[in-house]
Amino acid sequence: MESNNDLSSKFISYYSKFTNKEFSLMSFERVFGGASRETFRIHVKDKTGSEEKLILRRTQESSLIETSQITEYLAYSAYQGTSVPVPAMIDINEDEEILGAPFMLMQKLDGMSASPFTPSAYSPHEEKLGLQFWSILGDIARKDINDDFINQFENKNEDPCWKVELDKWVNVIKEDSISIEPILEAGIRKLYESPPKEPHKKSLVHGDYRNGNFLFKENKITGILDWEMAHIGDPLEDLGWALSPIWSWQDHETPAYLIGRQEALSLWESSSGLTIDNNDLKWWELFACVKGMAIWISAGNEFKTGKNVDPINLFSPWIPGDIHLEIILNTLEGDLS
Amino acid sequence: MKPEINIALMNAAQEILSRFSPLIEDEYEQSRLNSWGALILISAMKFNESYSSLVEENKEIIIWLIKTKQIFSTELLKEIDQIKAEEGLEQSILDEKNQLLRAILVKAHKEVDSTDDVEAKRGCLKLLREMHSHRKVSDLLGLLQQADS
Repeated sequence: MESNNDLSSKFISYYSKFTNKEFSLMSFERVFGGASRETFRIHVKDKTGSEEKLILRRTQESSLIETSQITEYLAYSAYQGTSVPVPAMIDINEDEEILGAPFMLMQKLDGMSASPFTPSAYSPHEEKLGLQFWSILGDIARKDINDDFINQFENKNEDPCWKVELDKWVNVIKEDSISIEPILEAGIRKLYESPPKEPHKKSLVHGDYRNGNFLFKENKITGILDWEMAHIGDPLEDLGWALSPIWSWQDHETPAYLIGRQEALSLWESSSGLTIDNNDLKWWELFACVKGMAIWISAGNEFKTGKNVDPINLFSPWIPGDIHLEIILNTLEGDLS
Repeated sequence: MKPEINIALMNAAQEILSRFSPLIEDEYEQSRLNSWGALILISAMKFNESYSSLVEENKEIIIWLIKTKQIFSTELLKEIDQIKAEEGLEQSILDEKNQLLRAILVKAHKEVDSTDDVEAKRGCLKLLREMHSHRKVSDLLGLLQQADS
């Protein structure tokens, strides 16, 4: 097994060459969680004593979500210098020889992240963080997809947005399922039976916009992270995902453990310039559960087959998997009553 | 009498979380070990119920399928007629049978949904709710947070 020391030596050699400066390492720590890439927090200084804080994201052979790192890189690049706070990108490198796998390097932003399962994570700043959280999501949706970076995303599929996404995740479920889930099957059936309308305007969809995937420092959001599932699609997709009760399981009235749902929706409409169709949003909220289930099932498959025994791959089908099934069931029961 | 397996697992989890984890300086390795501690704790809490839950779930599916028989297609009825209620099965065989029953249930639910029979629809969702309550571990989320802190 490769140690952090092996990797840190390789890194410092690469970074000194890349910047044409001699750097020494102050710290090199792996960050727990987020199984799509191995993430490292790095602190270096050069000969003059000038320090730099960096984040290294290295592709994993076996990961929770199989995604291309170029997707993440393009998305981060598209929002540089905008109202959507993202880290400055330094390098993207597909050469496996340098650090053992393709990687991306970016500047480390100030701030901390929190678990989406901790109700009091943002206390006492829920209100101010909530205003920013939902407005920033609207800003993401507002951005023109003809941007130089965003227009490099795949956008040739002629199927409606909902079908592209639903087919994609249902295929993941078909490939990775290790058990038959009647609740999930009923949810999928419901989605195919009553699709939403195509959006008036397609947007870049973050793909995993939720509490836990942003950095904050006291009452300010300092970074929106984890763009590896970004794609062109219906802006309501992100809204449905971020609103999902799974991210506020112990307080359903306060999505993302920040502010109330109605206020969140008004903020989003105001910053995106878009109007929400409630039936369509309801569809995307149910879709969020199916997509979530696909991710948790995929993680469970990685664990069961021994490809990746990171405990997050066991936790995912056990806890979030259970919760998403329960939300689907609540929805089906609600529709019948 | 020997100490039960779930008690052994529970103690192992407590030792991991309170005794070994604090000794680890590396933040990543400590978080990873804490996660294992929490997952072992869940296993311990659910260990004793896993067999009986599966027996109960299989029984409930069979009862509902037979009770709702009049709605189903001839093809599905043939599958239902082949189901045998057996007792004292090993866990692995019970599990295989459960997957078979779940596959039939998915087809049955689809057929129920294509009718206007609201009571049958409600009955099916009630069964799904029962099945979910046997298996779910998400109710232990609060416990996990306590263990983590």
